[in-house]
Amino acid sequence: MGQAERQQTEKSRAETLATKAQPAALKTLLPPGALLRRPQVLELGGGVRLRKGRVHEVSGASADLFAMRAAAAHGQPVLWLGLYRDIVTLNPAGLQAWLEVEDLILVEAVSRGELLWAADQALRASGGVCTILDLPDTLSLKESRRLQLAAEQGGGIGLVLLRGPASTSAAQTRWDCQPCCSTPPSWDWVCLKGKNGEAGRWRMRCEEGQEGGRGKAQNAKNTLHLAAAASA
Amino acid sequence: MPRILSIWLPQLPLDRRVRQGDTRLSGTFAITAEERNAWRVTHANGAALKAGVKPGQALADARAICPDLLTEPSDPVREELLLRALWRWADALSPRVSLDPPDGLLLDIGGCAHLFGGELEMGRETLTRLSDLQVQARIGIADTKGGAQALARFGAETVNIAAAGTLRQALADLPIAALALPEKLVSELARAGLSTVAQLQGQASAELARRFGLQLTRTLDHALGRAPDPVTPKAADPVYAARMTLPEPIGFVEDLEQVLQRLADQVCARLEADQCGARQFRLTVRCVDTGDHPLAIGFARPCSDPAALLRQFAHPLSQLEIEYGADWFRLCAEHVEPIRLKQTSFGDEAKRADDRLVLIETLGNRIGFDHVRVFRAKDSHVPEHEFEQVEAVQAEPHWPAAPRVRPIRLFTPPEYVEVETPGRPPKAFKWRRMAFLSETAQGPERITPRWFRDEDLRTRDYWKVQTREGRRLWLLNYPGEATEDWYVAGEFA
Repeated sequence: MGQAERQQTEKSRAETLATKAQPAALKTLLPPGALLRRPQVLELGGGVRLRKGRVHEVSGASADLFAMRAAAAHGQPVLWLGLYRDIVTLNPAGLQAWLEVEDLILVEAVSRGELLWAADQALRASGGVCTILDLPDTLSLKESRRLQLAAEQGGGIGLVLLRGPASTSAAQTRWDCQPCCSTPPSWDWVCLKGKNGEAGRWRMRCEEGQEGGRGKAQNAKNTLHLAAAASA
Repeated sequence: MPRILSIWLPQLPLDRRVRQGDTRLSGTFAITAEERNAWRVTHANGAALKAGVKPGQALADARAICPDLLTEPSDPVREELLLRALWRWADALSPRVSLDPPDGLLLDIGGCAHLFGGELEMGRETLTRLSDLQVQARIGIADTKGGAQALARFGAETVNIAAAGTLRQALADLPIAALALPEKLVSELARAGLSTVAQLQGQASAELARRFGLQLTRTLDHALGRAPDPVTPKAADPVYAARMTLPEPIGFVEDLEQVLQRLADQVCARLEADQCGARQFRLTVRCVDTGDHPLAIGFARPCSDPAALLRQFAHPLSQLEIEYGADWFRLCAEHVEPIRLKQTSFGDEAKRADDRLVLIETLGNRIGFDHVRVFRAKDSHVPEHEFEQVEAVQAEPHWPAAPRVRPIRLFTPPEYVEVETPGRPPKAFKWRRMAFLSETAQGPERITPRWFRDEDLRTRDYWKVQTREGRRLWLLNYPGEATEDWYVAGEFA
């Protein structure tokens, strides 16, 4: 047995010991069922991770795709909130390649205030809701902080699609997503801001023959693969 | 053959006053109503009839004939309540009772009469019981509803019976007015020289229908038992409502919530006992100065949980403007449906579906249920008609995968692009004030319109264009048009 392997087994043994020793202590500290909760991080593929219970901002021409990837990783329920003029352009025949259309609930608000209220309620809702907020402009610091608090309470994930320029906000991360001119299609995802230092630049592309693939898309939603990752 | 017993209550408004102990009834007394632009006598008591007052007379004439006549306007609402009370009371006679407004009841007494010792005895017993209630009545028993009604109203006795199969003869001598036809039709028939039912029976029904309309023959068929006309008993629907009146008006939100809590507990307990839930609840708050304020909330599924009710009412209650307080409250459950019990959980699937519905309710109650929607598939090849949005409350989510690759955003109507360098599709163009150069293009995908529908009848060519700037657009062109215009119909991921 090599040195490295031995170290590995020792390490894993130490870990198992730790987990065996812990339950009694954990039971007293954590609410029942806390250990069974779904993982607190969403894996979007290619090492892109989003923390749950947080609000993330997305801007750029392919922000929709980023949000859909997060929604697909989260699972139902997915709430897509926006003004009527934005929601009405969503096409389920196109969305079906990226997420389960059944999971989707649309909210057509008539004003910005209503939109923010609905987003707050959705993020606060128990069970964890993936909330995609299609905002006509940007969030102010106060508004984003309120949404952030709501997300922490509900345990879901909030994605704010920004149409305008980003401003100071309480969001966990901010992403800029742009489509690239290539075949097969690819996208540039740049993490512009990360509260915990998550920064980086990703070039995502579709797995071969998967894009909008008939039949296959039914079960395995389009998987994106990491092509290149370089820290920004 | 069914046997129908018709109870006619000719003096119902007067009987109501007698039952109340109105002392004016000892003298001449009449009930009046406004008919044909005049106050007319509708019901007159014995003394008044003796003095010459007749129902249908104008009140001024009646006063001239009988100067010491006392009158009272009719109260249709209270009279109907009395009739409904009698309708419930009539359960003692037969299980199948229906209302015959404004002044009658219809009982299907098939299989009941022998319990009273025969039909005649049953009729007499009914009359006795009604006179104990101080209600005057006349009774007709026949094979059909129309026949029994006619005998009760126009028969010579207080209990008129047409034995099974003899209805034709029993009705023969009655005037046509007995058939409950519109007044206009009766006078038309009289002008044609037809005054008794026997004369009508002698005519060919095709002739009658041609001259007087189908209504006459239909009524005749129903009365003579040629066409079925059953008694349709209506069980009184249970009303799930509760109300509370307070000695002093209240105005604080906490107090209002306390009141709502008590009302909700009552209503929900009754719903729960019947294993029902309501999709809508209506709370009426009566303010001392501004009157009634109706508040309503909805649910995505039948609900009988007071806590959920309180949670959803919290917002409308906080919006309510109360200045001097409210002292009367009524909570009513509407759209009552049975609750189907489901296994709550083995996994968290059921819980998650539950959370989803709670979320839809919360959002819907504030911003309107028509603003919370889900996609539903439609069967069409035209991109913008492949789907529709329906209210999330009403629809179970279901999406059969669409067969073709489509953009994720679809612009209807398509957005016009300025072509810089022409081509098919254009090599350079401007859309939304952004300049694009085409790198590669796939197409055209030709879609012909639905000619059978009244819509845009132009044939469409769609191109999937990869621009050098990165965005993947769905360009649209109408081939065969004079001007070669281009549009953006959608955008791919």
